[in-house]
Amino acid sequence: MENRVGPLEGACKSYEEDLVLYYYAETGTGERAALAQHLAHCLRCRKFVDDLGRVLPQMAPKPELPQAFWDNYFRETVAKLDEQSAQQHGWRRWLQPMNGWLVPAFGTVAIAVFAIALMLPKGNFTSTGETASVNIPAEVLVDSNQLEFFKSLEILESLSTLEEQDGAKPARKTSQIENQRSARALA
Amino acid sequence: MESSQDLGDEELVALCQQGQGHYFEVLVRRYMEKAFHIAYDFTRNKETAKDLSQDAFLRAYANITRFDGRSSFYTWFYRIVVNLCLDHARRNGRVFWESLDKKADEPGGQRQLVDTRSQPDQEAIAGEATRRANATLESMPNKQRTAFLLRNQQGLPIADIAKVMKTTEGTVRVYLHRAVAALRQSLVEFV
Repeated sequence: MENRVGPLEGACKSYEEDLVLYYYAETGTGERAALAQHLAHCLRCRKFVDDLGRVLPQMAPKPELPQAFWDNYFRETVAKLDEQSAQQHGWRRWLQPMNGWLVPAFGTVAIAVFAIALMLPKGNFTSTGETASVNIPAEVLVDSNQLEFFKSLEILESLSTLEEQDGAKPARKTSQIENQRSARALA
Repeated sequence: MESSQDLGDEELVALCQQGQGHYFEVLVRRYMEKAFHIAYDFTRNKETAKDLSQDAFLRAYANITRFDGRSSFYTWFYRIVVNLCLDHARRNGRVFWESLDKKADEPGGQRQLVDTRSQPDQEAIAGEATRRANATLESMPNKQRTAFLLRNQQGLPIADIAKVMKTTEGTVRVYLHRAVAALRQSLVEFV
Protein backbone atom coordinates (compact mmCIF):
# COMPACT_ATOMS: atom_id res chain seq x y z
CA MET A 1 0.00 0.00 0.00
CA GLU A 2 2.95 2.29 -0.64
CA ASN A 3 1.04 4.47 -3.06
CA ARG A 4 -1.53 5.69 -0.54
CA VAL A 5 -0.52 9.20 0.43
CA GLY A 6 -1.39 10.52 3.86
CA PRO A 7 -0.89 14.12 5.02
CA LEU A 8 1.93 13.24 7.45
CA GLU A 9 3.86 10.83 5.28
CA GLY A 10 7.37 11.38 4.04
CA ALA A 11 9.24 9.43 1.39
CA CYS A 12 10.20 5.79 1.61
CA LYS A 13 12.81 5.69 4.38
CA SER A 14 15.53 4.10 2.27
CA TYR A 15 15.11 6.74 -0.45
CA GLU A 16 14.63 9.92 1.56
CA GLU A 17 18.26 11.08 1.79
CA ASP A 18 18.90 10.29 -1.88
CA LEU A 19 15.75 12.14 -2.89
CA VAL A 20 16.99 15.29 -1.15
CA LEU A 21 20.19 15.00 -3.20
CA TYR A 22 18.08 14.21 -6.29
CA TYR A 23 16.14 17.41 -5.71
CA TYR A 24 19.37 19.41 -5.48
CA ALA A 25 20.78 17.62 -8.55
CA GLU A 26 23.67 16.27 -6.47
CA THR A 27 23.40 12.65 -7.60
CA GLY A 28 25.47 10.83 -10.20
CA THR A 29 23.92 9.92 -13.56
CA GLY A 30 23.39 6.24 -12.69
CA GLU A 31 21.94 7.05 -9.29
CA ARG A 32 19.67 9.66 -10.81
CA ALA A 33 18.29 7.19 -13.33
CA ALA A 34 17.60 4.64 -10.59
CA LEU A 35 15.79 7.27 -8.50
CA ALA A 36 13.78 8.43 -11.50
CA GLN A 37 12.71 4.83 -12.04
CA HIS A 38 11.61 4.55 -8.40
CA LEU A 39 9.74 7.86 -8.59
CA ALA A 40 7.83 6.66 -11.63
CA HIS A 41 6.25 3.94 -9.47
CA CYS A 42 6.13 5.53 -6.02
CA LEU A 43 3.51 8.22 -5.49
CA ARG A 44 4.69 8.82 -1.94
CA CYS A 45 8.25 9.65 -2.98
CA ARG A 46 6.98 11.70 -5.88
CA LYS A 47 4.91 13.78 -3.48
CA PHE A 48 7.97 14.17 -1.26
CA VAL A 49 10.03 15.59 -4.13
CA ASP A 50 7.10 17.81 -5.20
CA ASP A 51 6.84 19.17 -1.65
CA LEU A 52 10.56 19.95 -1.63
CA GLY A 53 10.19 21.74 -4.94
CA ARG A 54 7.29 23.78 -3.60
CA VAL A 55 8.64 24.66 -0.15
CA LEU A 56 12.43 24.92 -0.38
CA PRO A 57 12.75 27.62 -3.07
CA GLN A 58 10.58 29.86 -0.92
CA MET A 59 12.65 29.53 2.22
CA ALA A 60 14.13 32.82 3.41
CA PRO A 61 13.93 34.73 0.11
CA LYS A 62 16.60 37.25 -0.89
CA PRO A 63 15.70 40.91 -0.55
CA GLU A 64 15.37 42.80 -3.80
CA LEU A 65 17.82 45.68 -3.62
CA PRO A 66 18.22 48.56 -6.07
CA GLN A 67 21.46 49.18 -7.97
CA ALA A 68 22.02 52.28 -5.82
CA PHE A 69 22.38 50.02 -2.78
CA TRP A 70 25.16 48.04 -4.46
CA ASP A 71 26.93 51.17 -5.69
CA ASN A 72 26.86 52.54 -2.18
CA TYR A 73 27.96 49.18 -0.77
CA PHE A 74 30.96 49.10 -3.10
CA ARG A 75 31.96 52.70 -2.33
CA GLU A 76 31.71 52.09 1.42
CA THR A 77 33.73 48.87 1.26
CA VAL A 78 36.48 50.48 -0.79
CA ALA A 79 36.57 53.44 1.63
CA LYS A 80 36.86 51.03 4.57
CA LEU A 81 39.64 49.14 2.79
CA ASP A 82 41.51 52.41 2.16
CA GLU A 83 41.10 53.38 5.81
CA GLN A 84 42.41 49.99 6.92
CA SER A 85 45.39 50.28 4.57
CA ALA A 86 46.12 53.82 5.76
CA GLN A 87 46.13 52.64 9.38
CA GLN A 88 48.47 49.77 8.58
CA HIS A 89 50.81 52.01 6.59
CA GLY A 90 50.58 54.65 9.29
CA TRP A 91 51.89 52.22 11.86
CA ARG A 92 54.63 51.09 9.51
CA ARG A 93 55.59 54.69 8.77
CA TRP A 94 55.74 55.44 12.49
CA LEU A 95 57.80 52.39 13.24
CA GLN A 96 60.13 52.63 10.23
CA PRO A 97 62.35 55.53 11.40
CA MET A 98 62.60 53.90 14.80
CA ASN A 99 63.90 50.66 13.37
CA GLY A 100 67.44 52.08 13.44
CA TRP A 101 67.56 52.78 17.16
CA LEU A 102 64.49 51.01 18.63
CA VAL A 103 66.12 47.61 19.14
CA PRO A 104 69.37 48.91 20.73
CA ALA A 105 67.34 51.25 22.95
CA PHE A 106 65.12 48.45 24.24
CA GLY A 107 68.17 46.24 24.71
CA THR A 108 69.98 48.88 26.78
CA VAL A 109 66.92 49.44 28.98
CA ALA A 110 66.52 45.69 29.54
CA ILE A 111 70.20 45.29 30.52
CA ALA A 112 69.98 48.28 32.87
CA VAL A 113 66.91 46.87 34.61
CA PHE A 114 68.61 43.48 34.97
CA ALA A 115 71.78 45.06 36.40
CA ILE A 116 69.81 47.12 38.95
CA ALA A 117 67.92 44.02 40.00
CA LEU A 118 71.21 42.18 40.60
CA MET A 119 72.79 45.06 42.53
CA LEU A 120 69.95 45.47 44.98
CA PRO A 121 70.35 43.41 48.21
CA LYS A 122 68.08 40.40 48.34
CA GLY A 123 66.68 41.31 51.74
CA ASN A 124 64.95 44.35 50.31
CA PHE A 125 62.64 42.19 48.28
CA THR A 126 61.44 39.87 51.03
CA SER A 127 57.73 40.01 51.38
CA THR A 128 56.34 41.54 54.53
CA GLY A 129 52.80 40.52 53.73
CA GLU A 130 53.17 37.09 55.29
CA THR A 131 54.05 38.51 58.73
CA ALA A 132 50.63 40.02 59.19
CA SER A 133 48.46 37.15 60.24
CA VAL A 134 44.70 37.43 60.20
CA ASN A 135 44.39 35.57 63.49
CA ILE A 136 46.46 38.07 65.44
CA PRO A 137 44.28 40.68 67.19
CA ALA A 138 44.38 44.21 65.73
CA GLU A 139 45.61 45.80 68.94
CA VAL A 140 48.59 43.47 68.95
CA LEU A 141 49.42 44.19 65.33
CA VAL A 142 50.05 47.84 66.19
CA ASP A 143 53.22 47.01 68.05
CA SER A 144 55.78 45.02 66.11
CA ASN A 145 57.65 44.11 69.33
CA GLN A 146 54.51 42.55 70.70
CA LEU A 147 54.09 40.69 67.46
CA GLU A 148 57.56 39.17 67.78
CA PHE A 149 56.77 38.36 71.38
CA PHE A 150 53.61 36.54 70.43
CA LYS A 151 55.49 34.65 67.78
CA SER A 152 58.13 33.48 70.23
CA LEU A 153 55.34 32.60 72.63
CA GLU A 154 53.87 30.34 70.03
CA ILE A 155 57.24 28.64 69.64
CA LEU A 156 57.53 28.29 73.39
CA GLU A 157 54.07 26.82 73.56
CA SER A 158 55.02 24.36 70.90
CA LEU A 159 58.21 23.46 72.77
CA SER A 160 56.38 22.92 76.02
CA THR A 161 53.88 20.72 74.25
CA LEU A 162 56.72 18.63 72.84
CA GLU A 163 58.38 18.41 76.24
CA GLU A 164 55.13 17.30 77.78
CA GLN A 165 54.76 14.63 75.15
CA ASP A 166 58.36 13.49 75.64
CA GLY A 167 57.93 13.54 79.42
CA ALA A 168 54.72 11.57 79.27
CA LYS A 169 56.17 8.63 77.35
CA PRO A 170 58.97 7.68 79.85
CA ALA A 171 56.53 8.22 82.68
CA ARG A 172 54.25 5.60 81.17
CA LYS A 173 57.17 3.23 80.73
CA THR A 174 58.32 3.63 84.34
CA SER A 175 54.83 3.07 85.65
CA GLN A 176 54.61 -0.13 83.62
CA ILE A 177 57.95 -1.39 85.12
CA GLU A 178 56.76 -0.55 88.62
CA ASN A 179 53.55 -2.44 88.06
CA GLN A 180 55.49 -5.49 86.86
CA ARG A 181 57.73 -5.36 89.93
CA SER A 182 54.84 -5.13 92.32
CA ALA A 183 53.15 -8.05 90.57
CA ARG A 184 56.29 -10.16 90.97
CA ALA A 185 56.56 -9.21 94.67
CA LEU A 186 53.00 -10.24 95.27
CA ALA A 187 53.65 -13.57 93.55
CA MET B 1 45.10 44.13 -23.40
CA GLU B 2 43.35 42.14 -20.66
CA SER B 3 41.13 44.16 -18.36
CA SER B 4 41.35 43.58 -14.60
CA GLN B 5 37.70 42.49 -14.76
CA ASP B 6 38.72 39.55 -16.93
CA LEU B 7 41.37 38.30 -14.55
CA GLY B 8 40.66 35.16 -12.57
CA ASP B 9 40.38 35.18 -8.78
CA GLU B 10 43.77 33.54 -8.32
CA GLU B 11 45.49 36.10 -10.56
CA LEU B 12 43.86 38.98 -8.70
CA VAL B 13 44.87 37.47 -5.36
CA ALA B 14 48.45 37.05 -6.60
CA LEU B 15 48.56 40.71 -7.65
CA CYS B 16 47.24 41.77 -4.23
CA GLN B 17 49.87 39.61 -2.56
CA GLN B 18 52.51 41.41 -4.63
CA GLY B 19 51.37 44.70 -3.12
CA GLN B 20 48.94 45.85 -5.80
CA GLY B 21 46.04 46.13 -3.39
CA HIS B 22 43.77 48.05 -5.77
CA TYR B 23 43.07 44.76 -7.58
CA PHE B 24 41.15 43.66 -4.51
CA GLU B 25 38.39 46.05 -5.57
CA VAL B 26 37.66 43.74 -8.50
CA LEU B 27 37.14 40.90 -6.03
CA VAL B 28 34.86 43.14 -3.95
CA ARG B 29 32.78 43.95 -7.03
CA ARG B 30 32.68 40.26 -7.98
CA TYR B 31 31.65 38.86 -4.59
CA MET B 32 29.79 41.64 -2.81
CA GLU B 33 26.31 40.37 -3.67
CA LYS B 34 27.12 36.79 -2.71
CA ALA B 35 28.75 37.88 0.53
CA PHE B 36 25.86 40.14 1.41
CA HIS B 37 23.26 37.45 0.68
CA ILE B 38 25.07 34.82 2.74
CA ALA B 39 25.20 37.25 5.66
CA TYR B 40 21.56 38.15 5.07
CA ASP B 41 20.52 34.48 5.16
CA PHE B 42 22.13 34.17 8.56
CA THR B 43 21.01 37.46 10.07
CA ARG B 44 17.83 38.45 8.20
CA ASN B 45 18.84 42.06 8.73
CA LYS B 46 20.01 44.27 5.88
CA GLU B 47 22.29 46.57 7.90
CA THR B 48 23.88 43.73 9.85
CA ALA B 49 24.38 41.74 6.66
CA LYS B 50 26.06 44.73 5.07
CA ASP B 51 28.37 45.28 8.05
CA LEU B 52 29.30 41.61 8.36
CA SER B 53 29.95 41.11 4.66
CA GLN B 54 32.04 44.30 4.48
CA ASP B 55 33.95 43.15 7.53
CA ALA B 56 34.61 39.87 5.71
CA PHE B 57 36.20 41.81 2.84
CA LEU B 58 38.37 43.77 5.27
CA ARG B 59 39.55 40.58 6.94
CA ALA B 60 40.18 38.85 3.65
CA TYR B 61 42.25 41.81 2.47
CA ALA B 62 44.18 42.03 5.74
CA ASN B 63 45.00 38.32 5.49
CA ILE B 64 45.47 38.07 1.74
CA THR B 65 49.15 37.15 2.13
CA ARG B 66 48.10 34.12 4.20
CA PHE B 67 45.92 32.77 1.41
CA ASP B 68 47.96 29.86 0.11
CA GLY B 69 45.86 28.92 -2.91
CA ARG B 70 45.16 25.40 -1.70
CA SER B 71 41.45 26.16 -1.98
CA SER B 72 39.73 28.56 -4.35
CA PHE B 73 39.50 32.17 -3.27
CA TYR B 74 35.75 32.10 -3.00
CA THR B 75 35.56 29.06 -0.68
CA TRP B 76 38.22 30.71 1.51
CA PHE B 77 36.28 33.97 1.44
CA TYR B 78 32.87 32.34 2.05
CA ARG B 79 34.39 30.62 5.06
CA ILE B 80 35.33 34.03 6.46
CA VAL B 81 31.77 35.31 5.85
CA VAL B 82 30.15 32.25 7.47
CA ASN B 83 32.48 32.39 10.46
CA LEU B 84 31.69 36.06 11.01
CA CYS B 85 27.95 35.34 10.78
CA LEU B 86 28.12 32.44 13.23
CA ASP B 87 30.24 34.50 15.58
CA HIS B 88 27.76 37.37 15.32
CA ALA B 89 24.85 35.01 16.10
CA ARG B 90 26.75 33.61 19.09
CA ARG B 91 27.48 37.09 20.46
CA ASN B 92 24.07 38.59 19.78
CA GLY B 93 21.76 35.68 20.52
CA ARG B 94 18.74 34.89 18.43
CA VAL B 95 17.75 37.97 16.47
CA PHE B 96 16.71 36.09 13.36
CA TRP B 97 13.21 35.30 14.61
CA GLU B 98 12.29 38.89 15.45
CA SER B 99 13.48 40.18 12.10
CA LEU B 100 11.44 37.59 10.27
CA ASP B 101 8.30 38.51 12.16
CA LYS B 102 8.83 42.12 11.26
CA LYS B 103 9.61 41.28 7.68
CA ALA B 104 6.46 39.15 7.32
CA ASP B 105 4.34 42.18 8.18
CA GLU B 106 5.84 44.29 5.40
CA PRO B 107 3.95 44.13 2.09
CA GLY B 108 5.90 41.89 -0.27
CA GLY B 109 8.67 41.61 2.26
CA GLN B 110 8.26 37.91 2.89
CA ARG B 111 6.90 35.37 0.47
CA GLN B 112 4.60 32.81 2.05
CA LEU B 113 5.18 29.09 1.98
CA VAL B 114 1.59 28.22 1.09
CA ASP B 115 -0.90 29.69 -1.35
CA THR B 116 -2.43 32.95 -0.10
CA ARG B 117 -4.59 33.82 -3.03
CA SER B 118 -7.97 33.25 -1.38
CA GLN B 119 -9.35 33.71 2.15
CA PRO B 120 -7.80 35.58 5.07
CA ASP B 121 -7.61 32.36 7.12
CA GLN B 122 -5.39 30.90 4.43
CA GLU B 123 -3.14 33.90 4.80
CA ALA B 124 -2.97 33.21 8.50
CA ILE B 125 -2.05 29.60 7.80
CA ALA B 126 0.61 30.75 5.34
CA GLY B 127 1.99 33.16 7.91
CA GLU B 128 2.11 30.38 10.48
CA ALA B 129 3.87 28.06 8.02
CA THR B 130 6.46 30.71 7.27
CA ARG B 131 7.04 31.43 10.93
CA ARG B 132 7.35 27.76 11.74
CA ALA B 133 9.78 27.07 8.91
CA ASN B 134 11.96 29.99 9.87
CA ALA B 135 11.85 29.07 13.54
CA THR B 136 13.02 25.57 12.58
CA LEU B 137 15.78 27.04 10.47
CA GLU B 138 16.80 29.29 13.32
CA SER B 139 16.85 26.51 15.92
CA MET B 140 18.93 24.17 13.76
CA PRO B 141 22.49 23.32 14.78
CA ASN B 142 24.91 25.75 13.11
CA LYS B 143 26.44 23.14 10.83
CA GLN B 144 23.08 21.95 9.50
CA ARG B 145 21.93 25.51 8.99
CA THR B 146 25.16 26.49 7.23
CA ALA B 147 24.97 23.49 4.90
CA PHE B 148 21.32 24.18 4.14
CA LEU B 149 21.73 27.93 3.57
CA LEU B 150 24.78 27.51 1.35
CA ARG B 151 23.06 24.83 -0.76
CA ASN B 152 19.49 26.02 -0.80
CA GLN B 153 20.00 29.78 -0.79
CA GLN B 154 23.37 30.22 -2.45
CA GLY B 155 23.25 27.18 -4.71
CA LEU B 156 26.77 26.11 -3.76
CA PRO B 157 27.61 22.55 -4.81
CA ILE B 158 28.07 20.09 -1.95
CA ALA B 159 31.76 19.74 -2.85
CA ASP B 160 32.31 23.48 -2.29
CA ILE B 161 30.24 23.53 0.90
CA ALA B 162 32.52 20.78 2.19
CA LYS B 163 35.52 23.03 1.49
CA VAL B 164 33.90 26.05 3.14
CA MET B 165 32.97 24.00 6.19
CA LYS B 166 36.25 22.05 6.12
CA THR B 167 34.50 18.72 6.26
CA THR B 168 33.71 15.82 3.93
CA GLU B 169 31.05 15.78 1.24
CA GLY B 170 29.38 12.85 3.00
CA THR B 171 29.03 14.89 6.16
CA VAL B 172 27.52 17.80 4.22
CA ARG B 173 25.00 15.41 2.63
CA VAL B 174 23.98 14.24 6.10
CA TYR B 175 23.65 17.85 7.37
CA LEU B 176 21.59 18.77 4.32
CA HIS B 177 19.28 15.80 4.65
CA ARG B 178 18.75 16.47 8.35
CA ALA B 179 18.03 20.13 7.71
CA VAL B 180 15.51 19.35 4.97
CA ALA B 181 13.90 16.62 7.07
CA ALA B 182 13.56 19.03 10.01
CA LEU B 183 12.03 21.71 7.78
CA ARG B 184 9.64 19.30 6.16
CA GLN B 185 8.67 17.94 9.56
CA SER B 186 7.89 21.44 10.81
CA LEU B 187 5.71 22.05 7.74
CA VAL B 188 4.11 18.66 7.57
CA GLU B 189 0.65 20.08 8.36
CA PHE B 190 0.95 22.67 5.63
CA VAL B 191 2.51 20.84 2.67
